[in-house]
Amino acid sequence: MLSETETRLLGVMMMVIMLGMGASLTFKDFAIALRKPVGVVVGLLCQYGVMPLLAYVLSLVLALPPAYAVGLILMGCMPGGTTSNIFAYFSKGTLSLSILMTMSSTLVAIVMVPLTLAFYSQGIEGNWQIPRENVIQVLFVLLVPTVIGIALRKWNANVGALIEMIGGLLGVLVILFLVVSWVPRNGALLMQTGFPVYAASIGLGLAGFALGYLISRGLKQDPRRSRTIALETGIQNGPLAVLIVLLSFTGTQQQEVLLIPVLYSLFIVLTSTAVTIWFRRITTREELARDAAKIGALAKA
Amino acid sequence: MDAISPYDLRPWVGQYGSHIKAELTPPAAASLPAMAQAAAARFARQTAFTTVMPNGMYGSLSYQQVDEKSDHFARYLRQVLKLDAGDRVAIQMPNSLAYPVVLLGVLKAGCVAVNTNPLYTAAEMAHQFKDSGAKAVVVVDLFADKLEQALPQTDVKHVVITRVPEFFPPVVGGIVHAVMKYWNRQVPAHRVPFTALPAALAQGAAAGGDVKAWWGGLTHDSLALLQYTGGTTGVAKGAMLTHGNLLWNVAQMRAMCGSHIDEGKEVVLTALPLYHIFAFTVNFLSMFEAGARNILVPSPRPVQNLQRAIENYKITWLTGVNTLYNALLGEEWFTAFPPRHIKAAGGGGAAMHHAVVERFEQVTGAPLVEGYGLTESSPVVCFQPLNGKRHRDTIGVPAPMTDVRLVDDTGEPVPLGQPGELVVRGPQVMQGYWQRPEATAEVIKDGWLHTGDVAVMDAEGTFKIVDRKKDMILVSGFNVYPNEIEDALTRHDGVLEAAVIGVPDPKTGEAVRAYVVKRDEALTAEALMAHCRTLLTGYKMPVRIEFRDELPKTPVGKILRRDLRAEVLGANKNKT
Repeated sequence: MLSETETRLLGVMMMVIMLGMGASLTFKDFAIALRKPVGVVVGLLCQYGVMPLLAYVLSLVLALPPAYAVGLILMGCMPGGTTSNIFAYFSKGTLSLSILMTMSSTLVAIVMVPLTLAFYSQGIEGNWQIPRENVIQVLFVLLVPTVIGIALRKWNANVGALIEMIGGLLGVLVILFLVVSWVPRNGALLMQTGFPVYAASIGLGLAGFALGYLISRGLKQDPRRSRTIALETGIQNGPLAVLIVLLSFTGTQQQEVLLIPVLYSLFIVLTSTAVTIWFRRITTREELARDAAKIGALAKA
Repeated sequence: MDAISPYDLRPWVGQYGSHIKAELTPPAAASLPAMAQAAAARFARQTAFTTVMPNGMYGSLSYQQVDEKSDHFARYLRQVLKLDAGDRVAIQMPNSLAYPVVLLGVLKAGCVAVNTNPLYTAAEMAHQFKDSGAKAVVVVDLFADKLEQALPQTDVKHVVITRVPEFFPPVVGGIVHAVMKYWNRQVPAHRVPFTALPAALAQGAAAGGDVKAWWGGLTHDSLALLQYTGGTTGVAKGAMLTHGNLLWNVAQMRAMCGSHIDEGKEVVLTALPLYHIFAFTVNFLSMFEAGARNILVPSPRPVQNLQRAIENYKITWLTGVNTLYNALLGEEWFTAFPPRHIKAAGGGGAAMHHAVVERFEQVTGAPLVEGYGLTESSPVVCFQPLNGKRHRDTIGVPAPMTDVRLVDDTGEPVPLGQPGELVVRGPQVMQGYWQRPEATAEVIKDGWLHTGDVAVMDAEGTFKIVDRKKDMILVSGFNVYPNEIEDALTRHDGVLEAAVIGVPDPKTGEAVRAYVVKRDEALTAEALMAHCRTLLTGYKMPVRIEFRDELPKTPVGKILRRDLRAEVLGANKNKT
């Protein structure tokens, strides 16, 4: 479990991250996104259709106890993580699409997260339920820095771009912070934790990648966009889930519910890195093949 | 020979109307530094230049700051490096705040600037520095490694290195530089002994010296710039442009724009590189004189790099080449929210395509006027007037005080309506090529600059470029002009851009071949052929259409037909 100070620190960091995300946007970006809604629709479908369902199914298949199940379902209901944009960049994906998806899923989070969370956690005992007010409150509080970020960008482009960068870096730092502050104190717990919990924590991300890719291919997106959507789907906003758990539970209860969100956050960095390297290779190979085709056309001429 | 030809009466003056003065008095300033100083005094506190990075980070200099810093750079050149009047200083950098400071500093020192394309290879750099005899080079750090290879072959004694975010606020500049260096790995390591630009300015400031004494004696006949050209045809030659050439061309530009340039209030987007003569005269010199704010974009490729610049500033003027406008029109952020304050846009460098002009005007509601010029004429020769009747698909009319004729191979003016080579006479025409009297004599005959472009003129004096003399394709004895075929191709909605060349053909001598970049993936060669058949007669039809992902281009975005021809010829050689 995290101390009061650490919880507050995490809250502040989340605010800065959201400030950064706001600063990466302009109102025109929204308007443009809404003009061509395919990316947004696919993103929302993956984020709030596929992921919560996937988490729910995983919790049933692995027969997780309520404490872990609620953590997993919460994780599945989260909007896209801001770190996905960094991975999209490194994997030579479509960066604008990644940003657009993160942004749209975050903005509708205040409605969609409480809805999906309530729906999929119906069968969970009352004292393990996450109060809807907490979720709404956290999301609402995070909307404020987002709006401030947008305003700052409009006010001064230098300040906006600076905050955007800091926010992006903090996204990675927060996960490091969780590793450093949480893992050493919970070594024993990690040792005792059985296969199902690890399978759920790792599987949620991996299955998210796979389903995101298949669905977007099914919706006729090209392979490169589909790889971007795959990363975006699998990468959830882990720190946000951690924050909600911290505000909703205390003591050992908190520690138990926190397990899957924290494990997910740790493993998603590793799996995303592996997937990013793989995707990058595919994209590079495709680029080379295109060049070779050009040379072939030349030789024929 | 001396019979009055249709061109001698300047029929185009009728189109000037009351907006454009036909007779201009010589520019009041004796030199570019004199012009710059007058502008700096008048608009002192206003922002002169803002460089905008792709993520929106920016830095700015006021007129006064440009004036002071360029004074310091002049002092550095004269007092610290001990350069003499007339010494050549090469400038090699993308658009950045350092550019105007260095350029004006060189001119204020009484030296001659050598604009150098930063994308040059080491061999090209070496040629240009050797040919111009440059003693000092101001180079951006991105290309210092190439300079290291080129230096031993040249007389360059001094190297000053600048950065893209030069003169940005410290934190922002530091981040931009760090991202370029450590993230994008664009800043190469090198072992060139150098002085950083800020240090050079500090040394100049410490050394002191009466800057005006160095430029006060400059006149309209003094050499200001060696602008290299002809790289596309072989050895690059330095066009000698004087202070007078450039000041005249500024005056001509200003006369053509008239009241459309509101002094001290314009915001001009400079996406084309300043080392190119088009942006140099039109965006930098003319707009500096008019007290405008120049929004400099270091690299317009990819074109998304322009998004923040266009969103964050109220752009009133913009210049570009066909490929740039075409790329902008392919961007949703541009077409969905076109800049609302644009008064006019200028196009040149290569023929503007009908479809691009039409769409741009429809999207922005502002006229996109096409001009025509070349390095050897500082560059502006012709422009479509902003008032009066628009003649689309033409290059408009000659600028005031400019004579234009169309001549045949013997130099005789061709009759009205007939195609002929466009020749120019006016105060903007260069002195000649640097240390190349034979090459000069080939292009300047009896005071007329021969452009190598074939054009026609109508009765009102509007000119239309038919094509480059050497790009003309001869199909079974018929002249085919690639521009016309490219225009037909790009009128198809599925075509993003197209290039047309002639290839050797056993039956027809030459045959038309088209290279096309698709906008719509579903486009087929058959469909495009069918489209062309509705616009072109048989002998003009492309015999073959080849689809490409991109076309070879110059740094300003001119499509390089010559590279495509070289590909074909090279491939033929391999086959035999």
